[in-house]
Amino acid sequence: MDSIGLIREFLQDRLGVEPENVIPEASLAELGVDSLMMLELMFEFEDRFGVKLSSDLKTPQTVGEMVSLMDGLIASQKH
Amino acid sequence: MSQRRVAITGLGLVSPYGGDLADFFARLCAGKSAVRYLLTDDLPRPLSIPFVSCPGFDPDVALGKPLASMMDRFAQLAMAAAFSAWNDSGLPRQAEGDQRDDWGVAWGTALGGTLAYEKGYRELWQKGRERLSPLSVVLGMNNAANAHISIQLGLGGVSMSHTVACASSAIAIGEAFRRVRSGEATVMLTGGSDVPQAYGVARAWEALRVMAPGDAETSAAACKPFSAERRGLVLGEGGAALVLEDWDHAVARGARIHGEMVGYGTTCDHSHLVRPEAAGQIRAIGLTLADANLNPGDVDYVNAHGTATAEGDPVEITALKAVFGDRAAALPVSATKSMHGHLLGAAAAIEAIVTILALREGTIPPTAHLAALDPDCAGVDHVTTARHGQPLRAALSNSFAFGGSNAVLAFRAVDV
Repeated sequence: MDSIGLIREFLQDRLGVEPENVIPEASLAELGVDSLMMLELMFEFEDRFGVKLSSDLKTPQTVGEMVSLMDGLIASQKH
Repeated sequence: MSQRRVAITGLGLVSPYGGDLADFFARLCAGKSAVRYLLTDDLPRPLSIPFVSCPGFDPDVALGKPLASMMDRFAQLAMAAAFSAWNDSGLPRQAEGDQRDDWGVAWGTALGGTLAYEKGYRELWQKGRERLSPLSVVLGMNNAANAHISIQLGLGGVSMSHTVACASSAIAIGEAFRRVRSGEATVMLTGGSDVPQAYGVARAWEALRVMAPGDAETSAAACKPFSAERRGLVLGEGGAALVLEDWDHAVARGARIHGEMVGYGTTCDHSHLVRPEAAGQIRAIGLTLADANLNPGDVDYVNAHGTATAEGDPVEITALKAVFGDRAAALPVSATKSMHGHLLGAAAAIEAIVTILALREGTIPPTAHLAALDPDCAGVDHVTTARHGQPLRAALSNSFAFGGSNAVLAFRAVDV
C-alpha cells in the first residue's frame, strides 16, 4: 500500500470519510482530523511502514503535505 | 438559602436484555435473569464465569464510528446511556448561547478504561511492541466518560468522575443531586458505567473469592441474594444515566417528571477494606432519611445492595432492621442484582433507575432465585415475585462499597 492508500483507509475506518474525498488539496482539519487523530494517523503510518517520525516535524495541513511527508520519510529511511 | 426540589426528567441505559427501558423493567419484574455463562478464548486459562454483558450493544451503530473510536467501552456505554437519558428528558441536544454554563456531569466508574490499559499491556509485554497508540491515555482515563458527555451535550458546568468501587454511581448521583438542590446547577447528567471483563480485572475479582461459580446450565441463577444457597456475586458490564433537573425548570418547560430525588447520605465504616459494618450502613440510611425529611414509616420499598456475598447480605439486613425497627418486618426489600448482576460503577445507577421505575409504576421487582431464605437475612419483607398495583410513596436504594464507603439515595413518587 502507498501513502495515500493508507491515509484513505485510515480516514474511512476512523472517520467514515469517503476515499474519493481524500485528495491532495483536501484540508486534514476539514476532513475531521484533529490533533489526537493526527497523532493516531502518524502512529499508524510508523507502524505500517516501519519508519520513525521525529517529534519536531511540522504538522501537515493537507492530504498532499501528509503524503509528501510520508514519502520523504520512507525514501530517507530506506538507506 | 432555600433548597430547590430536584426532578428526575430523564432515564436511560444500555440494557443487558437488548431492549429499551420498559422492556428492561418488565423483564426484571418477570424475574428474568440476564446472567449468562462467559467462556473467553484467553490462553492458557480462559475466563469461565457467570457474567452479564450487553451483546446487543454495537458502539459503532449506537454512536457512529468516529465518536466510538475515541472511547474505551466503558465510555461508549456511558455515552449511549447518556444520549438515551437526554433524549428521554426532552432537552435539546445542542447548547444555545451560554445557558448551559451551570449544567454539568457527575459520573461513576470503579474501573475506568481498563480494557484500553490491558490492551496496552498486551502490546508491550506480550507482543514486544515498543510504543502504544497515542490515544491510550484519553481512552483509559477515568474521567473520559464524563468528558465525552459534557462535549457531546454541550454542558459547560462541572464535569467530574467518582471512583468509589461499588458505590461509585451512588456517590455521583448524590453529588449531582446536591448541586441541583443547592441551586449550583440547573441540570445534571449523572449515572455510571463499567466494563469488568478485562482479563486481569476479572482474575483479580476471582482471587477475592467472592464470585459465584456457574456453567452453561447454572449461570442464569448463579446470583442468589439473601439465600441460604448464595455463592457470591456476578459481575457485569453496563451503563445507566439519569437527568436531574431543577423542579421549577422542568415544570416550566412541560417536562415529564419520572419522580423526585429527595435525599442522599454517605458514610464510611472506617474499619476494614472489605468487611462491611452495620454501624456505617445504619448511619448512611439514617442520614438519607433525615436529608429527605422522611420517617421510616414513609418508605415503601428498598432496593438493596444485595450482592449475594456471604458476609454482605446479613449485615445489610441487620442495618435495615436497626433503622426501621418495628416497621422492618413489613418493609418490602428486593435485590435486583440477582438478575442484572453487579455492574460495579454502573450498579447504583441502574438500581436507582429500577427504584424510580418501581415508584412510578407502582410495581416492586423481585429478588430472583430466593427459594431458601438464609435465617441470618430474615426480618424484612423479601419480595420474591413482582408486586403490582402498589401505592408506593418513597423508596431507598442502597450501595455499600469495598473500602467501607456507604451511599444511600432516596426518591419520592410524583402525585402519590
